[in-house]
Formats: sequence, C-alpha cells, structure tokens
Amino acid sequence: MSSTSQKHRNFVAEPMGEKPVTDLAGVGEVLGKRLETAGFDKAYVVLGQFLVLKKDKELFQEWMKETCSANSKQSSDCYECLKDWCDEFL
Amino acid sequence: MADQVDSMSDAELRTKLAEHGFPIMPITASTRKLLVKKLKLVLDNKSKPRNSVDSKVESRRSLARYSSGEESDLDASNAKDKRGGRRSKVGGSMLPPASSKTRHIPVKKDSPVKPDSDKGSESDEEKSPVRIREKVETITTRQIKRTYTNDQDDYETGSDSDVDGDKKTSTPYRSNSRASDHISSTLPTANASTSPPKPSLYTIPSISSTNYSSPILSSSDHLNSIRSRLGLTSTLADRPSVSSYISDYTSNNVDEVESPYLNNFTRRLSSLKSDPPKTSTFLDQDTNNGSTVLPRRSYMTGVTRSADVVDYKSVNDKKFLKNNLVSLALVVLVALFFFCLFFMYLVKKNDIASVVDDQNSLIPICQLNIPGNRPGINCVPREHVSYAKDLLKVIHPELTTRIASYQCGKPGALPYLTEKEIIDIASSRAEMVDVSQCRTDLNNLQVLIVNNPRWGLSVVQLKNLYTKDVEYTPITSVDIVVQQRNKGSVAITLTDPSTPISCLFVNTLYSAGSTFIIVGLISVVILGLQRFYKYYVRYQKKKSEEIYSMVEQIIDIISQETEDSGEPYISVDHVRDTLISPQNREKMASTWDAAVKFIQTNESRVRMEVQSVDGEDCRVWRWISPHGSPKRSAAWQGQAFETQEGSVNNLTVSPTPCLKIRHMFDKNDTNPNLRSVIQDAILEKCGDRCNILHIDIDRASCCVYVKCSTTIDAGVVYRSLHGWWYEGRLITVKYLRLERYMQRFPNSPSTGPFLKPSRRR
Repeated sequence: MSSTSQKHRNFVAEPMGEKPVTDLAGVGEVLGKRLETAGFDKAYVVLGQFLVLKKDKELFQEWMKETCSANSKQSSDCYECLKDWCDEFL
Repeated sequence: MADQVDSMSDAELRTKLAEHGFPIMPITASTRKLLVKKLKLVLDNKSKPRNSVDSKVESRRSLARYSSGEESDLDASNAKDKRGGRRSKVGGSMLPPASSKTRHIPVKKDSPVKPDSDKGSESDEEKSPVRIREKVETITTRQIKRTYTNDQDDYETGSDSDVDGDKKTSTPYRSNSRASDHISSTLPTANASTSPPKPSLYTIPSISSTNYSSPILSSSDHLNSIRSRLGLTSTLADRPSVSSYISDYTSNNVDEVESPYLNNFTRRLSSLKSDPPKTSTFLDQDTNNGSTVLPRRSYMTGVTRSADVVDYKSVNDKKFLKNNLVSLALVVLVALFFFCLFFMYLVKKNDIASVVDDQNSLIPICQLNIPGNRPGINCVPREHVSYAKDLLKVIHPELTTRIASYQCGKPGALPYLTEKEIIDIASSRAEMVDVSQCRTDLNNLQVLIVNNPRWGLSVVQLKNLYTKDVEYTPITSVDIVVQQRNKGSVAITLTDPSTPISCLFVNTLYSAGSTFIIVGLISVVILGLQRFYKYYVRYQKKKSEEIYSMVEQIIDIISQETEDSGEPYISVDHVRDTLISPQNREKMASTWDAAVKFIQTNESRVRMEVQSVDGEDCRVWRWISPHGSPKRSAAWQGQAFETQEGSVNNLTVSPTPCLKIRHMFDKNDTNPNLRSVIQDAILEKCGDRCNILHIDIDRASCCVYVKCSTTIDAGVVYRSLHGWWYEGRLITVKYLRLERYMQRFPNSPSTGPFLKPSRRR
C-alpha cells in the first residue's frame, strides 16, 4: 500500500488510549455501532481480538465480516491500521 | 462431520485445527465461531475430491507427488471408509507441538487434493521415513526401467533360446542376465500381456497392493524384492529406517506378495515351454534373489546373492568394452602414431651417419685432368672421402654436446670446435693417426661441409680468436676457408643446433619467469600508481569535506555568538580557539586557513574586518544578517502593518482576556485536525511570552477563539497576531468580552494548565 488514509495515520501516530472504536481506520459510524453492540466499544477491545487471532489477516478479516459485516476493504484497512499500530507501539 | 464440529469441545477443536495445519490460537467466545467455520470449510473441501475425482487422474497425480507405496495406501483407503477414522485417531495422537504458518499455507492451497491434507496431519517423525521410502522407490523404478530397456534385445534372444530349447546357455553369466531379463519382462506381463513396458511398470505396485491388507508394506516390499533380484539392495540396506521397516514386515507379507508373482512367473515360463531343469534354475535364482527370508521354500539352493551382483557387474563391464572397442582402438592407434612420429623425429635428428652417407651428398672428387683442382681446397681425393666422413662422425657427438651445453648456458662452453680442438679429438680417438693426416682430413671435411649445407654443419670464421666471444660468421666459399685457415680462426659448428629437452624446459622456465617478473613489476607499479591516485583523490575529498564542515561550524559559531553576546562581530582567532582543541591546532592549521579563505571569498553573510578588541587590533568576522530569526514558521508570512507600541493599530490597554481571530482558515478547509494545526500555529507565534488557556475554532464563521489567562497576555497575543499574513490570508484580531466567550464555550478552563505547542512539528 503506497499511501494510507489520514485516519490511519492519526491512529498510528499515537498510543490509542481510550479512543473509541470509530477511530480505527476502516471503521466508520455504521461499523462502529455494530461493533459496539457486539461489545467492542473501544479500539483496544478490537486490538485484543486482533491479538487473540495472532495478527492473522485472513482470520481477522473473517471475524470483522462476521461481527459487523465489514467488506474486505474496511476489514483490510482496519487490519493494516492495527498491525501498524502494533509495529509501532507493541 | 460438520455436525460433529459444532459440538466439539474447545480442546477437540484446537486439535482438529492443528491437524489441518492451522496455527493454534486461543479459542474464546469470540473466536470459536470463526474457527468452527474454518474447520468446516476445510473438511468440506477435503471430502469433495475424495468422492468425485476420477481414480485414474488421482492415481496419476499422486504418483507424481508420492511414491507408489503412498499411492497404494490411498487406493486402499478409497476402498474402505473406516480408514478415515483410524487416520484421524492417529493424527490426534501424534500432534505436532506447534505448527508454523509456512506449513499452514501449502495445506490450504492444495486442500482439494486429499493426500496433502493427509500428509499434513502426519507427524514429522512419520514423515521422514515416508520421504526416504519415496526416494528409494523412485530410484529403483528408474533402475528397473533402465535395465529393461538395456536388456531388451537380450531378452529377445533369451526367450528365443527358451523356445528353441537351446541348452548352450549354461554359463553363469548368461543365466544370470537372463534371470534379470525375466524379472523385467514379467513386470509387464503381470498386468497385461500387450501393454508397453513403462506404464505397466508404474502400475505394478498399486495392483499388487490392492490385493493385500497392508498396502504400503507389501508394495514397498514387492519393489524391494524386485530390487534385490537386480542386485541393488546394497543402497537400500544403508538406510536404517527403511531396512528395519521392511524386516519388520517381510515375514508377514513376503508369502503373500511372492506367490502371485511367482505364479505369474511360472505361468509365463510354462507357456514359453522351456525344458524342466532350466525352469528350476530360474526359480532358484528368482527366489534366492527376491526373498532371502523365505526358509520354507524347499528349492532354496546355495547360490548367494553377492555372486550375482558381481556377475551382473561383469556383464555390464563386458558390454561396455564390446560397445566401445572400435573407438578405443582408434584412440590407441592415434596415440601410437604420434608417439612413433615423435620417436622418429628424435632419432633422425641425432643420426649424423645416415645424413653423411646419403647418396645425394655433393662430393667434389679431385680429378687429375682438371687443372683447377686442388685437394683439400676445392676438391677431395676419392680415397680421402671416407676418412673425412669418419672424422666428422667422430667429432659430431662432441660438437653436439658442446652446443647443448652452450645453449644450456653453461659458463665457458663454446658452440663450435676450432681446428685445433678437432685435431686433438681426432688424435686422441685414434692414436695411430698422425697429426698431418688429421689435418688433411680436416681440410677435406671442410670442403665437404661447405659443399653440403644439407648436412646441418657449417664452417665459420671466428671474429675474436682469443676472447670468449662466440661471435662468428659462416663461410660459404672454400677460398675464404683457405684464407682463414692460415689465421687459425676457422671452426665448425652446427647450423641448426637442437637444444636438449631439459635445457629447453629450463630455458623456457627462465624466460617465462623473467617475463612474469617484469609483468609483475609493471603491474605492481601500475597498481601502486592507481592506489596513490585513489588515495590522493580520497585525501582531497576528505580535506574539502573537512573544510566545509569547518566553514559550517564557523558560521554557526559566528551567528550564535553575535546573537548571544550582542556584539556584531567576533574575533577570528577566538572562533578558531573555540573550534579546535589546542593539540590539534598545528595539525589543522591548513584546514583552518582554507576555511578562512573560503569564508572570505564565498560567504556573503560574514564580513572580515579589522577591529580593535581590548586595545588590540585583530581580525574579526562580522555577522551581516538582515533579520536574525531563522526559526520562523513557514505559515506566518510577515506583517502587513505595524502593531508595536505607539502605532495607531495598537490598543494601549487590553480590555478583555478573550480574543476572536478571523481569517486563519476558510470554509473550504477540510483538514480534520485543523484545530490542532491552528493551535500550534498560534502558540508558536506567541511563544512563551503569554499564557493561553483555551483555543477553539468555529468552522461555520471561520473564527478562532482564544482565551488567555490575563488581559496582558491577550495584549501580547493581539500584538503578535494582528495584521499578520497567515498562509496567504491577512489575520485580524479583536477583543471579545469574557461573558460572550463563556456563553460560547462554557467548558473552557479558567485557570491553568496553559496550552503548550504539541510535540509534532
């Protein structure tokens, strides 16, 4: 991926703290609502799931699709976002 | 199967996934569903091809990837479903501790192919023997094939002799080769009598294996028996895993494997109608070679397998010899020819007698009736010709050795024989001959040599008789010989001297050595020059880099010092002393001078002048910089009008601590973190001179609201922002009443902490 979105850059730029799930790249309002109803209200909860799935892209995307019916671009964005964040801060 | 997956426990699910090459991961409430789905997908993919794929295609595909043993395993599994259960149990008990991701990928890719997933489920320990088995078996198949094709015509003759009942094939070599032929020939007939050899060879293991309960073992054992028949078990025996494997099972399976095979064999033999004794020998050899663990066979004889191996080898050797006889003979002939040529050349060179006694030699015989004839000067008396030739034969070896030693570079050796030496040699060889006789013979010889240049000798005139110089000129007419003869400066030498081989070798070595030395010297010189040039270039580069860095340091120091101290100039020596430590000053003098010169010529911001510092005139650098604010933000482009104290635009008293700034951005600005950008810009501009409590923007009206802690701070902000250009827009600042501000931003803080510029710049 040559360029990343501003949202991605913002998220990766700093520790996530208490950021809401909608701050994740690829997660907009709709997906954010769905994730919140599924219990994933904060970005760090999604990060936990991401880590439980051992950063496996395929499985994570599958999970995103399952949980909030994200399309492949959204889930891929979210995956990249979390992965870059982990590379930076984990 | 899919229903099972749903009801599995977490541990089972994990096991199952690991079996299929998935990375083991925690199964939680949120991941379980996902993993179950994944497993189902894999199981579906796996079960599909097993039911639907054409068996032929599968067998071929699996043949390409596996040994025939593996394939037969699959065949057996196709026949019975219960195998699946067993397999899964085995996989469950022999789990790999942690499967890596790399393993994961190929499995997924090839998941439709059943053998792959099977293989993935097997443990590593089980895998390695399988791999070895594959290798061994492919090797043997190839060898069998080769034998078959090699011996094809042999086989033809063999079968012919069988039909004819020919009994002359009683030598062990023949019978052995025939035995192997029959093995290879029975391979096709075991399947179909008319099938071509190659495919039938491939299909044999699977066919035989479908008949028996433990297919891998039987087929591999089968191959093993074939292999041993061909005398090829030696490689197999070296592999412990395979050999032990086989030995474990041969006792159980050999009987089953062997008997149909033998049945085929005997059937074939009987159909060929061979005489009884021969059949028995075939059977003997067959069983001996094939199954060494068959003590029950009554017709086991004492023929050992090692003997067969040797025979087999000798057969191959003989065949090789036979096939290559002509070419070998040709090579030998050519070598012989060249050797003879070389030998003849050597011999011919040394044989002076044959040359001298040649009939074609021109011999001027003295005849009494011709007046100009003078014996020993231009003609030779008939009776003296043979004496002269004898003399030549006597001195020739001596002359040859002399020239050889001369050319070998022996000190003091001369490449010729003078008359005196010749006479000495002649008189020492034949004591009876008196000196005058010798003299006459020598004269005659000289005449003959001059007349016969073909002899390879020449009469020469020495330039310098008494020195060791070896210069001479050949004499071509008898008259000159006579003239020189009186001076005693006539000698005989070889016109075309041949150097001995050892000398030639040494000389070549010497010249080659000297050439090498010269070339080496030249290359060393060139290399040295190149090194030097490189070093010089690098040195120059380093020097200039040093100078540049020095210049930069100087400029830094000048700008800093002049800014800090308030004096607009700084002493040159002072700069030098701050930059260069005392011990380096001498060393760096040239660099320093160059840097000073560079600054003088190329630096416009620094001017050198002479000033009196503390009553002493010294050179100083003056920093000429129009505005010394290099740290200016790019966004703030300059001031449109004066806001300093005393100007019309400046309010003397700031009425409120709140400000409203217009035009810092426009409506089209969609930057999501515009607020932080603007906040940074303002905080940077105002710096540490004021304390700002709160900054916010209103996108609708394009206004920025600033709340400072005191009215004085607001004044500072006002003065530093009002009337400035910010990103191409002129900014205006107005005071805002505190009540209005609090109305708009009720949550804005009234006390510290004050805002600080964010770290990211």
